Amino acid sequence: MPASVAGCWWRPFRTVDRATVLHVDLTAHAAREAEAWAWLDEEEQARWQRYQHDGPRRRFALCRAALRAVLCRQLDCYNEQLAFSASDHGKPYAVVQGVAAPVSFNISHSGAHGLIAVAAAGRLGVDVEERRAPRDLDGLISSVLGPDEQAELALARGCRKLHLFFNFWTIKEALIKALGLGLALDMSRFEIPSAMRRGKTTSIFQFPQMPTVRWRLEDLGNEHFAAAIAHELAPDSN
Amino acid sequence: MASTAERLEKLIAENLEVDGQPINLPEDLNASLLEAGVSSMELVAFGRLVSREFNVAFSPEDCANINSVQGLIEHIDSQAG
Repeated sequence: MPASVAGCWWRPFRTVDRATVLHVDLTAHAAREAEAWAWLDEEEQARWQRYQHDGPRRRFALCRAALRAVLCRQLDCYNEQLAFSASDHGKPYAVVQGVAAPVSFNISHSGAHGLIAVAAAGRLGVDVEERRAPRDLDGLISSVLGPDEQAELALARGCRKLHLFFNFWTIKEALIKALGLGLALDMSRFEIPSAMRRGKTTSIFQFPQMPTVRWRLEDLGNEHFAAAIAHELAPDSN
Repeated sequence: MASTAERLEKLIAENLEVDGQPINLPEDLNASLLEAGVSSMELVAFGRLVSREFNVAFSPEDCANINSVQGLIEHIDSQAG
């Protein structure tokens, strides 16, 4: 990977057990965007071209280039050797010289913030959301939250309600992304641990349908955004 | 009577935006709204809207299989008959 002339736009954000989370600065920056674009392969540059608006185009290029830099370092490979493929449900995975790479990663972006989570093993999902009120908050609450989660939100008002909703959404979205099933999994069919609904920032979770698989959840939110990570625990971990 | 694509185009223009700007029906109908920059949260909300507007249902399997605007049009038309 060539040394960045525009300065790194990503930096370490958190370590969660064996997973590293990096923050990607997605504010407009012409020099960084030009450099990021040059790091993309032909397929990624074509995808970049298809975006209708500058914002999504910028977020894609800056995040994907940062991901490339992080993975090249992790896998000790050159940028030109690294490519991406996707599962049936669209979850991307890294390929080095035609072989699936031994690394787990996930990426999310919202507004000016991107997060990249990387680990050597275990399925991984991350989600970040700037807390902008959606048009149909109550409709979303009834669509994606389970009964106990909805009851928790029913007690909250105004900013607190919005804050809680984004908190719940990012945890659930991180789990869905870790599973790699996209919207095939009905979000209202599972609920996040009650301790996290009441403010605890970390917990262990098991899907009712998959009780043998355990997930480490961590709330990564701060004053700028809501965010969460879900990482599959090794079977022998405590 | 407007076609499904025309009604969908109007719905997208009136209800979806990226960074405060309205988005257009993609020229390539095989593109997904996620590729247009729509977030997954907006997509879930938009799915509710489409469901009401066209009186169609989406199972989780449908959501997994509809990967493009064209796929969404075909799903709506398949339930209209």
